[in-house]
Amino acid sequence: MQTEIFDNKSALNSILLPDPMTLDSLRNQIREIERSGKLSPPLSAENELTVSLGSSEINEALPWGGLPIMGLHEIFGDTAAVGFTTALMNKFAKNSDAPILWCQHGRNLYGHGLVDFGIDPDRLILVEGKSDNDILWAMEEGLRCADIAVVIGKPYKVPPIIGRRLQLAAEENSSTGLLLRPQDRKKPQSVSPTNAALTRWHVTAAPSITPARGPGLSIAKWNLELQRYRYCAFNLQKQKTVKRVTSWQVEWNHETGDLSVVTDLCNRSVQPQQEKQKTS
Amino acid sequence: MDPLVTVATLHGGQRITAVNMAAKMQGIKPGLLLADARIQFPNLIVKQANPKADLKALGKLAKACERYSPWTAIDPLGNGKLASMSGSKGIWIDITGCAHLYKGERPLVEDLRDRCIQADYQPRIGLADTPGAAWAAARFSNASFCIIPPQTQRENLSTYPITALRLDPSTLKKLESFGLRHIYDLYGKPRAPILSRFGDKVLKRLDQMLGRIEEPISPRQSATLHYTRMVFAEPIGRTEDVKLVLNKLLKKLCLIFEVKNLGVLQLELLIFRVDNSWARLRIGTSQASRNPDHLELLFRKDLEALNLGFGIEVASLIATETSALNARQIDIEGKISHRPNDNSAKLVDRLSGRLGMKNIVRLQPIKSHLPECATRTLPALETSFSKNNWRNFNRHPQRPIQLLQQPLPIEVIASAPDGPPVMFLWRKQQHRIVSAAGPERISPEWWRPTQLRIHTHPVTQETRDYYRLEDQNGQRFWVFRKGFYRLTRPPIWYLHGFFA
Repeated sequence: MQTEIFDNKSALNSILLPDPMTLDSLRNQIREIERSGKLSPPLSAENELTVSLGSSEINEALPWGGLPIMGLHEIFGDTAAVGFTTALMNKFAKNSDAPILWCQHGRNLYGHGLVDFGIDPDRLILVEGKSDNDILWAMEEGLRCADIAVVIGKPYKVPPIIGRRLQLAAEENSSTGLLLRPQDRKKPQSVSPTNAALTRWHVTAAPSITPARGPGLSIAKWNLELQRYRYCAFNLQKQKTVKRVTSWQVEWNHETGDLSVVTDLCNRSVQPQQEKQKTS
Repeated sequence: MDPLVTVATLHGGQRITAVNMAAKMQGIKPGLLLADARIQFPNLIVKQANPKADLKALGKLAKACERYSPWTAIDPLGNGKLASMSGSKGIWIDITGCAHLYKGERPLVEDLRDRCIQADYQPRIGLADTPGAAWAAARFSNASFCIIPPQTQRENLSTYPITALRLDPSTLKKLESFGLRHIYDLYGKPRAPILSRFGDKVLKRLDQMLGRIEEPISPRQSATLHYTRMVFAEPIGRTEDVKLVLNKLLKKLCLIFEVKNLGVLQLELLIFRVDNSWARLRIGTSQASRNPDHLELLFRKDLEALNLGFGIEVASLIATETSALNARQIDIEGKISHRPNDNSAKLVDRLSGRLGMKNIVRLQPIKSHLPECATRTLPALETSFSKNNWRNFNRHPQRPIQLLQQPLPIEVIASAPDGPPVMFLWRKQQHRIVSAAGPERISPEWWRPTQLRIHTHPVTQETRDYYRLEDQNGQRFWVFRKGFYRLTRPPIWYLHGFFA
């Protein structure tokens, strides 16, 4: 009985659902109509321009196989988020000499510190906004400018419409925007996210693997969490929440500029296991 | 009004250079020693003389006088020793062919006087055929303004003192010792003895005054102005119309620039309203430009906020700063090849135009050991992209990615008095230190004068020991201990930056 139903269903499917090939070509046609006169759009995940984060595990968790270049990415977190943003910025801006636009309240970015992240501070144009409106406006202008490698903004609040505007500006001009959203460790819910962004990351500092003896700090480690991504498959705005493993502990490699996932084994202390063995 | 004087160090002492009306009434004269004046008038208000600012103000006044004639100049004699002798500096206005615009010379002079008084100046105006005669009339007539009728300077100026001839003090002294006190004393005297005794200066000045020798005045304006202007038959009052006018003016101006191979760096739009008031809009560009659309975009924000009042009659566009801009090659597809940073320069213009020039900056390294002094920000509009070698400046192990402009004091528990912290309190949060690196000792830069250091900074005068710390959550901080460890006082710690 059960098998019969199953068979019927598959038969139904084959009749009702059209051939995937025709569906694709139809969708492509719609896309072309929508984007007439503009740059030819990336049609599928394969030829979408992406930037590799350096670690295959993280790249595979993203539907694009890397971070898409044209779009807005949102990064939440504490001071580690600034580091992650800078690392991403380095990735996006690597291939050109174009200036980088950084918009935020106040002036606390330190040039000599950026050098350590592989960023040439000469490329930075810093925008000091007095209000969120200023910052978001400057970001949009930057995204619409052809000669800016990457735009970073650090506003307090992003209204949904503005978030959408930024994303559209990035899409139209195939530019990259990074929204840095500083978060208080105590009140993580105080900052509301933008739904328009392609990805949403949450980055916090993680205790580094301390060397056995001797002073000094080892390589900084971050808790990286991919909270959400918006994958526009064939221009259907299908929003997906992440289901797979999307939380890693990563280290940033200052030589290659890549992120590398730190294995759990490395992080585990040996002591409790030995105790277990003893008790058993 | 209290007597007010300005003083400067002159002839070996603090001397009074200028006095106000109240001081003049009490008998204080320029040239008096300040000490002497103080004895006589203890309530004297004394200000230091500022000749540079005086000259600037005079320049402004001379510019304002261009309403009477374009041929205006600052009297060059006003800067010399003579200035202290005959009182004050002056402005030349050559009104030849301009007086009829004011329906005669007298109304013109009266208008000038009234305007000066409105601007809180006490003018003395002389009008004559020759500059020399006007100079004398302005200073030595009894009235505040004096018009000497044409061809009568010989008679009218005869009773003036010999000082009115614009001579230097030593010559004046000599002349006076011969009993030549007034100008009429020189009339009819044989020229040869005067020439041999006093030099050619006396006769030259006399001839200049009487109009026997030409004395040219060179006007102060010399640079060519790039200027377009539009006058309307009917006043216009809509912002859209003004935009259209601006567009037309810009196109006209850019056409001129195209011929001359120039580009705009600074542009001014002057708008004259019906009610005789005016407004000025100013823009600047980071790269010379003669693209009307781009320049129009920079004006847009100010233009929208502009109050047009009852309408405007005249709009004029002046390029106040220009620079060479050569034509671009058009490529084979008919597109103009852009310079690589063309678009970003335009972006900087736009951003600076709206958010203010000081808020769009670039970073520049400075050779300094003090972290907060090691970099500075410059307006992106004024600095073009330049390659600095940051690595050369950054020989230090590591620097935080975010640096606090002002180090924040924190409460610290350290294991050893001069060791790294074990725990610190910041924003009421406990940070237990898991690992620390340091110290990195940074001494104050004694070779720099104290004024050059950041003045708001409270801790530049002492040695600092910097530590890089990681707390239990993995957050990394840059902290320092101020000064050396001393038994007498507990060490003070500051948080200065965050590592990522």
